Amino acid sequence: MDSFVSEPRPASYETLSNNVLKRERRARERQVREEEKKKVTTNKIPENQRQQVANDDTMDPTQFLSNRIKSLALLKESGVNPYPHKFDISMSITEFIDKYRSLHVGEHVENTEISLAGRILNKRSSSSKLYFYDLHGNGAKIQVMADARHSDMDENEFCKYHSGVKRGDIVGICGFPGKSQRGELSIFPRSLVVLTPCLHMLPRHAITSNSDEAQSKKKTRNHSWTPGITRNPETYILRDQETRYRQRYLDLMLNSEVQKIFRTRAKIISYSRDFLDNLGFIEVETPAMTMTVGGAAARPFITHHNELDMKLYMRISPELYLKKLVVGGLDRVYEIGKVFRNEGMNLTHLPEFTMFEFYMAYADYNDLMDIIEKLLSGMVKELTGSHKIKYHGNGFDSEPVEIDFTPPFRRIDLIEEIESRANLSIPKDLSSETANKFLLEACEKFDVKCPAPHTTTRLLDKLVGHFLEETCINPTFIINHPEIMSPLAKWHRSKPGLTERFELFVNKRELCNAYTELNDPQVQRQRFAEQLKDRQLGDDEAMVLDESFCSCLEYGLPPTAGLGMGIDRLAMLLTDSPNVKEVILFPAMKPQD
Amino acid sequence: MEGLKVWRLSSSIARPSNLRQLFGLGTSSGLVRCLDNGAAAANATNTRFPSRNRRASTSTSTSTNTSDREAVRAIRLKKVEQLRSKGTEPYGYKWDRSHSAKELQEIYKDLNNGEELDSESHHVSIAGRIVARRAFGKLAFLTLRDDSGTIQLYCEKERLLNDQFEQLKTLVDIGDILGASGSIKRTEKGELSVKVDSFSILTKSLLPLPDKFHGLTDIDKRYRQRYVDMIANPEVADIFRKRAKIMREIRKTVESRGFVEVETPVLQGAAGGAEARPFVTYHNSLGRDLYLRIATELHLKRMLVGGFEKVYEIGRIFRNEGISTRHNPEFTTIEMYEAYSDYQSMMDMAEEIVTQCALEVNGKLTIDYQGTEIQLQRPWRRETMHNLVKEVTGVDFTELEDDLKVAKDVVLKAVGLGLDSKDKSSIEACPSLGHLLNEVFEIFVEPKLLQPTFVLDYPIEISPLAKPHRRHAGLTERFELFICGRELANAFTELTDPLDQRARLEEQVRQHNKKRAEAVSVTDGTGEKKNIDEDSMYEVTLDDDFLTALEYGMPPASGMGLGIDRLVMLLTDSASIRDVIAFPVLKISQ
Repeated sequence: MDSFVSEPRPASYETLSNNVLKRERRARERQVREEEKKKVTTNKIPENQRQQVANDDTMDPTQFLSNRIKSLALLKESGVNPYPHKFDISMSITEFIDKYRSLHVGEHVENTEISLAGRILNKRSSSSKLYFYDLHGNGAKIQVMADARHSDMDENEFCKYHSGVKRGDIVGICGFPGKSQRGELSIFPRSLVVLTPCLHMLPRHAITSNSDEAQSKKKTRNHSWTPGITRNPETYILRDQETRYRQRYLDLMLNSEVQKIFRTRAKIISYSRDFLDNLGFIEVETPAMTMTVGGAAARPFITHHNELDMKLYMRISPELYLKKLVVGGLDRVYEIGKVFRNEGMNLTHLPEFTMFEFYMAYADYNDLMDIIEKLLSGMVKELTGSHKIKYHGNGFDSEPVEIDFTPPFRRIDLIEEIESRANLSIPKDLSSETANKFLLEACEKFDVKCPAPHTTTRLLDKLVGHFLEETCINPTFIINHPEIMSPLAKWHRSKPGLTERFELFVNKRELCNAYTELNDPQVQRQRFAEQLKDRQLGDDEAMVLDESFCSCLEYGLPPTAGLGMGIDRLAMLLTDSPNVKEVILFPAMKPQD
Repeated sequence: MEGLKVWRLSSSIARPSNLRQLFGLGTSSGLVRCLDNGAAAANATNTRFPSRNRRASTSTSTSTNTSDREAVRAIRLKKVEQLRSKGTEPYGYKWDRSHSAKELQEIYKDLNNGEELDSESHHVSIAGRIVARRAFGKLAFLTLRDDSGTIQLYCEKERLLNDQFEQLKTLVDIGDILGASGSIKRTEKGELSVKVDSFSILTKSLLPLPDKFHGLTDIDKRYRQRYVDMIANPEVADIFRKRAKIMREIRKTVESRGFVEVETPVLQGAAGGAEARPFVTYHNSLGRDLYLRIATELHLKRMLVGGFEKVYEIGRIFRNEGISTRHNPEFTTIEMYEAYSDYQSMMDMAEEIVTQCALEVNGKLTIDYQGTEIQLQRPWRRETMHNLVKEVTGVDFTELEDDLKVAKDVVLKAVGLGLDSKDKSSIEACPSLGHLLNEVFEIFVEPKLLQPTFVLDYPIEISPLAKPHRRHAGLTERFELFICGRELANAFTELTDPLDQRARLEEQVRQHNKKRAEAVSVTDGTGEKKNIDEDSMYEVTLDDDFLTALEYGMPPASGMGLGIDRLVMLLTDSASIRDVIAFPVLKISQ
């Protein structure tokens, strides 16, 4: 084996050094130019170049596609690869902007050579010797001022080549930086190569403007979006919601804000990770496919493992597995991962979503309220620069609301608050028949709708929705839920019948759910038994007994507090997205007709 | 550490057959191990898992004894009642810790034997699981283990309030979780201890812990009840700590280079990006079948089309295939894509990621994997598949003509002697030269690639998403990274030509359907061979939207997928993928 390893590398294979690559690229560019030259001389139709720009806009999209495919075929036939393997960029567009934004109007730095690449989203020509392009990449944009005088190509080649460059093409540019007379930061290409042609016609903004000036005016009008402020998708180039979600790449390509939504989402997740890592938590992975369903009340997806001939469920929550790891001695664990629920889709629900759960041994729900307050207020401050955000909580048609994440968040006691708002005195023993009757009457009295089955849990839940959730615009902890509503939460240390649980509501929606974990295996079994009763009454959201979990508890789960938070909902708040599909890259969609 | 030593001592002496003796030994030497702990050792396994009984003859564990286990449980449940009747809640709500065990061991490492620090500033509070104990008349030693390590609790009767000492002797069992506070003392024997002022039972455990060396020799049970495995073998928990470190290090490495983390869907209308049998599920409200992703590739490439230049996703992948020491139906990969780069830059990236992780976890680049020394020092060997095959088998595929049959003859002539019939028939079944080259590579070369090796330039027939090689017809710009004979990463210069891509995917579907039709006809013919090639009985569909995305233009790019479970196996010297996945999929026990 050793001799095998130490044998010198055969000379036949050389790793491609940058120089080789550069040589190759130059050779290719030369080749492209020669091919173009050949065609220019054979075809001799250079005069209608300017027209072609205009033609592209009005052309039928199918015609556009077939034209482009034809020209690709021609290129390939002549031995040119229209899809080069690599283009060396010396900096990103963002870095270019940072480095040269301070140039003076009209200043050119001709002695520097920079190579950039990106997608052309706008093409304008003022003559066959001068083309303007907007070059986009990684969420930033600069102008390309392609002047025949600066080009390595001769004038004919230049005209020909640039007339063939289409809006949507991805190009690589070598050139020098400068600012135009109008003050636009630009790159002045010595060479420009199409790296990937765009075969389709890109959708355009309703109002298109072709002049440099109008472009810069538009830029000053459109302030650039940052997390915490409102968005207006009505101003997007691509507005059709179906297309935006089904072909997200077009959405990302054309609507510059959309990339920022997903960058914000990435920041939310990395902020959460760093926050917990700094508290000594470790990230773990628990199964997404399991033999039993647990940790929440929801209908699961079912699948089948062929070779093992085994029915498997997609997880509806990682909770039970994470608690097993705490039993195993990992005192502080968290998981950020997909959870699946086989339920209907609406503005806030999709079949798969991202859950953030953490468990902390020796802590209780009071500790978690402090921790989540710190995490969220810190995150909002870091991402938006303030504790207050604007959010179209009621859709883009209504006025945005302001949500204030300044800690401490309001805390309201679930039962006490309903009692005081509705002026009721709810029976203490919530598992009793009397309590059920009382709540049913209360719902009727206040016209709170609760579809059957009328279990006490469901009735209470509706009353909470009616009296409490409605008041929770700013982050609010609703605390101390009744035992019957919380089968995995520990009974309250001083309030009989209640648990040490909280839900954090923001803009009337649940964002977090947390409790001091129930760790008495006997009580846990009883709670599952009570859930079974509700199930038998027809509440299919009641939880099912998980024997392996109960037996795990018998080995001893330390006092532990745990929290689950929906990452998608948090991303919705911070990106002013009233629809969850705005924050999921490729959301599940109904099949197209 | 006295207590723990006893615990270990007893375990090393004891054999399954003489656990009872051990218990006797314990008492005779002045140890007080609670009755139920003795039973614990004897009763390391239980009947919850019926398979245990069937395997008893081959297992090293004792036969099970349900009644013992149930007896322990009953005794402990009584203790729960007793505690409650005294007004003590046996399931506490919280405990404020001032230190972890490891922190104390660190801070007081220079404390001399017999020395005590009793002042207020040395008052500490800790919590953890009791893993060993010895009690004498007025003195008891308990070993407490937390997330970080162990420390001894030194309990004197007169120092504790009221009947706390009695409680400690009668109500606390090994396995319970305790919070304790007190001052610092190093015993004459040199054991750093917390001299306990007060303690609280935070969680009363009901089931006995298995003995370290015997209780969990049943591998199946170790995976099924991972938490018991972790309690009994702290080094198991360490693997998961290291796994977390590796994940963190990977993220750090790629994010420092400007990669953005994204999440693409698990449930998809069509499963693409790899050749594997997908899991199928059904979405009720959409009323349609959905597939679990078998790769993240096609969606991440859409991100490049959308204008992201560097993206990655770390996530779960699902493949409906057999389980083995290297395969779990769900596993974790990182896939990353970088615009304007090619597979050469991905090789650098792979080296960077693996070496950074190795340094983070092991502190060095020379590591031991299952007895083999692996040198991770960069740069790693980069060699083409053609050259490797030639080197090992003597067959030069560049000299072979296009005739597949002749090629097979040449191959079989060169290597036929060392072949078993299975390998022979898979060579004969190869539908193309590319497949043949790859087959020969897999059989003869792969197992020999122990030191990190990038295998370059795969045949186009087996690389439907890779760009054709810029210089060699029939090959692609693709590499796989092998370490210890296992594939760790797979990367290409990505195919960006939508027409070429469409043709290749259509060919893939055609091949698959052909195989499927053959399998069906075999089944029809004999009526018995139902299992024949069931592998290909799933449907493969064309991801048209992906092709449309390519038509809008994807920049030249390279991409790589790296198996995180396998990387963790390598860096934690774990033989099986089940050792690095907390809850692996197992056969139904029975």
